[in-house]
Amino acid sequence: MGDYLRAPMSRPRNLARAEAKPRVVAVTGAAGFLGSNLIGSLEEDDRVGRIVAIESAPIANPGRKTRAYEVDLTEPTADGRVAEIFSAEHVDTVAHLAFLPAPTHAAAWAHELESVGTMHVTVAARHAQVRKLLLWSHTWLYGAHPSNPNFLTEKQPLRAPVREPFFADKIQAEEQARKLALRSPGAIVTILRTAPILGPTVQNTITKYLARKIVPTMMGFDPLVQLLHEIDAIAAFHLAVLRDVPGTFNIVGEGVLPLSTVIKLAGRIALPIPHPLAQSFAAVGWVAQLVEAPPSFLKYLRFLCVADGLKAREELGFVPTYTTREALLDFVSAQRLRDLKLLTEPRVDERKESVA
Amino acid sequence: MTRRPRKRRSPAARSVPPPTRPQPPSSPPTADPPPADDSVPVLEVAAIERPSDPHVVERIRELESRIDRMIDAHARERESSHDAVAQPSRPEIPRAPSSTRPTPVPEPEGVFDTARELLSTDFYLRKWGKLGLRNRSEEVDEFGYDPVYELKVLPIFDFLYDRYFRVEVHGVENVPRDGRCLLVANHSGTLPLDGIMLRMAVRREHPAHREVRWLAEDVIFHFPFLGSFTNRMGAVRACQENAERLLAHEALVAVFPEGLKGIGKLFRDRYRLQRFGRGGFVKLGLRTSTPVVPVAIVGGEETNPMLTRIEYLTRALGIPYVPVTPTFPLLGPVGLLPAPTKWKIFFGEPIALDGYGPEAVEDEILVGRLTEQIRAEIQQKLDLAVRERRSVWFG
Repeated sequence: MGDYLRAPMSRPRNLARAEAKPRVVAVTGAAGFLGSNLIGSLEEDDRVGRIVAIESAPIANPGRKTRAYEVDLTEPTADGRVAEIFSAEHVDTVAHLAFLPAPTHAAAWAHELESVGTMHVTVAARHAQVRKLLLWSHTWLYGAHPSNPNFLTEKQPLRAPVREPFFADKIQAEEQARKLALRSPGAIVTILRTAPILGPTVQNTITKYLARKIVPTMMGFDPLVQLLHEIDAIAAFHLAVLRDVPGTFNIVGEGVLPLSTVIKLAGRIALPIPHPLAQSFAAVGWVAQLVEAPPSFLKYLRFLCVADGLKAREELGFVPTYTTREALLDFVSAQRLRDLKLLTEPRVDERKESVA
Repeated sequence: MTRRPRKRRSPAARSVPPPTRPQPPSSPPTADPPPADDSVPVLEVAAIERPSDPHVVERIRELESRIDRMIDAHARERESSHDAVAQPSRPEIPRAPSSTRPTPVPEPEGVFDTARELLSTDFYLRKWGKLGLRNRSEEVDEFGYDPVYELKVLPIFDFLYDRYFRVEVHGVENVPRDGRCLLVANHSGTLPLDGIMLRMAVRREHPAHREVRWLAEDVIFHFPFLGSFTNRMGAVRACQENAERLLAHEALVAVFPEGLKGIGKLFRDRYRLQRFGRGGFVKLGLRTSTPVVPVAIVGGEETNPMLTRIEYLTRALGIPYVPVTPTFPLLGPVGLLPAPTKWKIFFGEPIALDGYGPEAVEDEILVGRLTEQIRAEIQQKLDLAVRERRSVWFG
């Protein structure tokens, strides 16, 4: 990762500005997977002077450069508090990563955190005149449709099922970030839409899905799947902190794999379910907390949702080091140890569960 | 830092420190490296790297023996649970605690043990896994084409091509030997087999044996089995983005501009070309300066002659219509088998689209004229071929 962060940049003028003085980077959702790893990655980077970690619970062992603040973004006065922190710390870049990695039953709380929380952060960023806002988003927001082109570009509309709060909240968050870009013309807003993140330590919907012994699939459907390795995801955000490139970018691994191959490589058994039945099974399973995702995710088991990473490569200079296949195999090697109970489960965010 | 750092700052990795972590040599390598144990591959790695610090070696050994013990204990635990399932009447052999048994149990032998092996679920899980991985393709291409899968089903299509439809190809040398090219063909038959037949024709008869990627209607991807099958065979969903991406790779792309209207035409309209979309393929050709080769396919229309279409109640299921052929709903799925007609494929002269300039794409009149010109050429070829044909079955 370090190598290509130091690699010659496509836009030297960004570099010049970036190296003028060490940056102060604020990270929201600092205890989450992306947040904590991005902070760890930024700690080692000399171009970042200070890191402001914002999280609703105290951060264990903050690093040398990190200053931790306890702010609950779901509280109505969070915007003022965050704005104060931004001003006091002279924050230059905000990486807004306070999003849930998997759908939750506490939809109302998730809405407060993701949609309203993003509003608080953007309002605070505007008040404190923060120069740059990074937002974490998903390529899933394009939605899985039989009419999708094989590679979705950033220009495609977001057609994820908006009845599902998991997607709707993230779409709203993106809208708020774009609104910030419109209302404060000087600000740089970079939205990184990551493909489903997979790797040895990350825990999200996909890892829960592939951790099952028997994996449900839709009978007769075998969509192509695109994944992103966790290291690449962290590297992409690190890169976006350093380079000032406004816009929306798909952050994806190279290559695609059919879902059936993914399941075989993971050593799981596919259980094909006819799709008219699956909808009701999933609905019951979700209510009974037997399955990891609500029925609206079933479309992603039927149709294509693969994004094109060309723009990120050309404008942001992001080149993934892991292909889809390598990301999967890296996950599988760790998952095998987990199956044998030789590795403990990745840390579940207990705090978020308890709030829910 | 290495180009591909693995498991960086991972909490999971922290819980079991990696035994092979290279240690900075604080002193020259000691004279006696730790003896390598053949049964433990991890140890070999440790020995090769020669960690000079005896404390490190000690620590690594300690960790390894811990892992060994855990694997042992786990394996034994699983074994005993399977025993309980397979032979409930068999008296349980008292097992010593794992710490006092450092060596694993020797492999069981004999009929009894074979039976036990066969009765364990693990055996079938392993078999299932092997079965699944046997014909697995190493990599599909970015559009989902799976060469290994195609090889598996190819004998069926070879049979269709050689024996069943006895495809006859004329003028295949009009297809350029390399570089991007659009094949524009008429669409026919209730079951669109023409894409696959066109692909096989070019692959087998063309001097350069080029691979055709054909663009298939969206509606195919709604259906279970059909969508993933055609995708693995090399079809790509028809849209401008996909076509441009394929042409950018200098591919040979077949399009059926009639689309669903082409497959869905009734038998009385056979070989009458429908509207050619909105001239999308001409715009594509103009934008990417791709030559167009008109293709006429004769014989496809009679494979499943559609007498009428049932359109009510089908929309709710996501199906555009249910075809009614002389055999289809009557004989059930067997009725969908295509009739063994004689197929002929005619390739026309390539039409260059690169002399019109970049603004030509916006010129609807020009696009319309070019579309009509190509349509007329294919229609002419079809009319000629149908007129000269003496028999639907023998050509």
